[in-house]
Parts: sequence; C-alpha cells; structure tokens
Amino acid sequence: MATFKGGDGVFLSPGFRSAAAMAGWDEEALLHAALVVEDTPVRESRQHKQKRPRPLFKTPPSTNSSTRKRRSRRHPAASILPVVLQLDDDEEEQPAAKDLVAEKVNKETATIMVDEAKVTEKEGSLEEKESSKRVPCMDRLREELSCAICLDICFEPSTTPCGHSFCIKCLKRAADKCGKRCPKCRQLISNGRSCTVNTVLWNTIQLLFPDEVEVRKNKAGAPSPGCETRNRSSERRNNNTNINISRNQTRYGLRRVRTQVSQATEQDRSFRRRPSPSQSEDAALALRLQREEFMVAFQGTP
Amino acid sequence: MSYNSTGGLQPSTSGGGGISGGGSGGGGVGGVGVRGWPSATSVSSSGKRIQKEMLELNTDPLTDCYAGPKGDNLYHWVSTIIGPQGSPYEGGIFFLDIIFPGDYPFKPPKVTFKTRIYHCNVDSAGNLNLEILKDGWSPALTISKVLVAIKSIITNADPYNPLNLNIAELYLTNRAKHDEIAAEWTRRFAK
Repeated sequence: MATFKGGDGVFLSPGFRSAAAMAGWDEEALLHAALVVEDTPVRESRQHKQKRPRPLFKTPPSTNSSTRKRRSRRHPAASILPVVLQLDDDEEEQPAAKDLVAEKVNKETATIMVDEAKVTEKEGSLEEKESSKRVPCMDRLREELSCAICLDICFEPSTTPCGHSFCIKCLKRAADKCGKRCPKCRQLISNGRSCTVNTVLWNTIQLLFPDEVEVRKNKAGAPSPGCETRNRSSERRNNNTNINISRNQTRYGLRRVRTQVSQATEQDRSFRRRPSPSQSEDAALALRLQREEFMVAFQGTP
Repeated sequence: MSYNSTGGLQPSTSGGGGISGGGSGGGGVGGVGVRGWPSATSVSSSGKRIQKEMLELNTDPLTDCYAGPKGDNLYHWVSTIIGPQGSPYEGGIFFLDIIFPGDYPFKPPKVTFKTRIYHCNVDSAGNLNLEILKDGWSPALTISKVLVAIKSIITNADPYNPLNLNIAELYLTNRAKHDEIAAEWTRRFAK
C-alpha cells in the first residue's frame, strides 16, 4: 500500500485492496486495475466511499483526506467540473450534515444537467434536420395533428376515450354546445370537463410545429395574461423536454425566470460556485436559466 | 368604383349600392351593421375556421361544385352544384345559399336551395332535409363534407324522410314519371 501511494502516486482504497487480495490478484494486476479505476470520474468513486460506514475504514481519516487533497492537486481544473472541486473543499473543512445534503442536491442537479444537455442536443439536431430538409410527410403530419374543430394544429390536445384528439378548448366547447359525443365518431364522451391534455402528443406538436404553437400561445396570452401564466408554469412542470424556455423568452416569461434566478443565485452560493459565464449566446443563457430553475425546484424538495 | 366605396363606408345608403350593381356586396355590408356579423377581417374562432375552409376549397376544389363567400361577408356563402350525371338533374346548375352561424362550427350552417328543384327532400322554399344539418351535425364536419352529402342526396333521394310528400309518393310509386318531371324542372329552372 505504501509503495503504491509513495512510488506511483496511485491511490487504492482499502476495500479495493482487500477485494483484490481475495480474488488473488498479484501486484502488477492491482496496479493496472488501479490505473483503470483512476480514469473513472472522481465523483463516482467518492460516492462509493460514502456509502461505506466509517468504522470499516482501516486507514485513519486523516490519511484519507490527505490522499484526497493530493488527488485534487493531481487533476487539473479543466478535467473536473468546478462544482466537484468546490465540494471537495467544503468537505475537507467540516463534513457536516448540511454539506451532505447540499452535496446530494448538487449531485441530483448535476445528473439533471447532463440529461438536459442530452435533451437540448437532441432537440438541436431535430431542429437542424427540420431546417435543412423538411420532413417529406410534413403536410400529412399537419393534417393528422390538426384539430377537426378549429382545423388548426391541435393546441393542448386532449384525446377522447375513442381515440380522437382535439384542442382541449375545442373539445370542451363542443361538449357544451353539441352534446357529450365525440365530434368525429359520435361515441359518448364521459364528461367534457374532465378531459386532460395528452402530454406526449402536445410535446410532439410543439417539436414539429414550434412556429404555429408560438403564434397561438401569444394569441391566447393577449386577452388573459393571468390564465396564461398558470398555463405556462404548469406546462413547464409537465414538459420534460422543455422546449419552450429557449424560444419562449417573451415578456414576463423571461422576467419570471429572471426573478427566480436572482433568488437561485443567492441560494446557490452557499453550496456551489458557478462556472464562469463564458457563453454569451442567448441560447446558452436560456439553458443556464433553465438549470437554475431546476436547481430551485430540486432544492425545494430535497 | 366610387359608388362601391361610399356604399362600404355608409351602409345606410344601401339603396345606392344596389343600383350600382353590387347587390350582394351591399347586402353583406348591411348584414354586418344590422345582424352583428363579424367582417372578413375578424379573428374570431368561427371566422378563422371559415377562412380555413375557404382556403382548403380553393386549393382542393370539389368536382362539379363551387362554394365561396358572397360579397365580403365571410359568414354568407353561395354555392353551385352541377346536377350529377345519370340523374334527372343532369346538366342543371343549382345555386345554394349557405349562412354560417356566429358559433360555427358548433352549430350547423343553414343551407337552402336558391334554384328550384323537383326533389322530395327539398321544399318549395328551398329548405333541405338533411340530418347532418340538424341534429346530426358535428363540429368536425366541414362545408365541403356538407356539399358532398347534398350531392349524394340529389342523386339518391330519401323518400322516407321527405319534405314534399307528393314528390316522395311519386318517387316510390312511379319513378319514371318522377324522373321525367325532375328533368323538366331542371330544364326550366336550372339552365
């Protein structure tokens, strides 16, 4: 153990060593494995360590922290997220319960950020595809995704038990004025008031026809802004892909996010140093705001 | 030209509009003032839907059929149906009036024949006995579907739900005679 630590500067956890001994590995294999392990992200190995109860540690905590220090020195800042570095420092000072909670939240947000990045990537590629060459069946799609009542692209579509989709507003009006029957097949609809938005279909429509949806959203927002705020917030909560935010920075939409950000940054500073804002693009800003919003949401329910 | 513009500005002088030959246009403008119809520039949901139907009919017209706004009122259309081949109405041109209610498409449009037709489902005033224009209406129906249904009922009359009992009776008892009279009416009124 000492040779490994001193000679190569490779750290091996006691658990790993004992497991390796049980498997009958020789020193060379151990060294090799250690190098492989070293390549994996720091956060994961740390997480592993924390799950183990403290009494099992063979080495005293002081050595542990020193190796940790060394490791953080070994890794250049560029290879690790600043978030993680900051956490390391925090923990070395005093591994209090508060920090643990903060770390948990941070981890969650980190995974969310990764997911989000994936989503935006996907979305971006989709948009690219759309702009570069229009989907050949776009007209058919438009027809299929149109509401038979207003003949427009379904806005917040609701699907009847018989499988037909209409704008939720159109369906409700039809149920009120023409009886509780499906406008397409005349089957009985249980109750026009209890219908819900078909989220998957609505997200699909937003992805395929962003311009039309945007136009209608603005139109719907003009006469009753209060109602619209409620709509938007609930929508954002439902909407995992969250395509609105980047496009939908109009008026108080952005203002709302901004106020949240100011709150968020106050709270953020307690446990996280923000990465340097090198991006000046609007899209990047939107993404950042979105992350912060997520952060706030997750902080609320740890 | 100048007549039309003044007529449009002042609907009260609709008499002048009528003389200038823009009878339908004058009527449309009058309708806006008196009956509260929204104009063509209205952005109401019914107006938008009617506009969409108009665009669809323009890009993808029906065979032997035309429909479009009469004058500048989006809610008042005129339609022509050419008598289907193989029927006693063959070769006739039948004019129809279509009036969209304010809460279209939740209420059916009112369709009436303006051209006289010898048909058991059309009364002397031109009213049409069509289920989908009454209780069978659905907001998912469009005017082009209604026109297809009208074309269909012209060819295949429904004598069991008649508006004109005499014609229905003749249709059931003496079809040849019925067809002869219908062809005669078509020659007299629809050509």
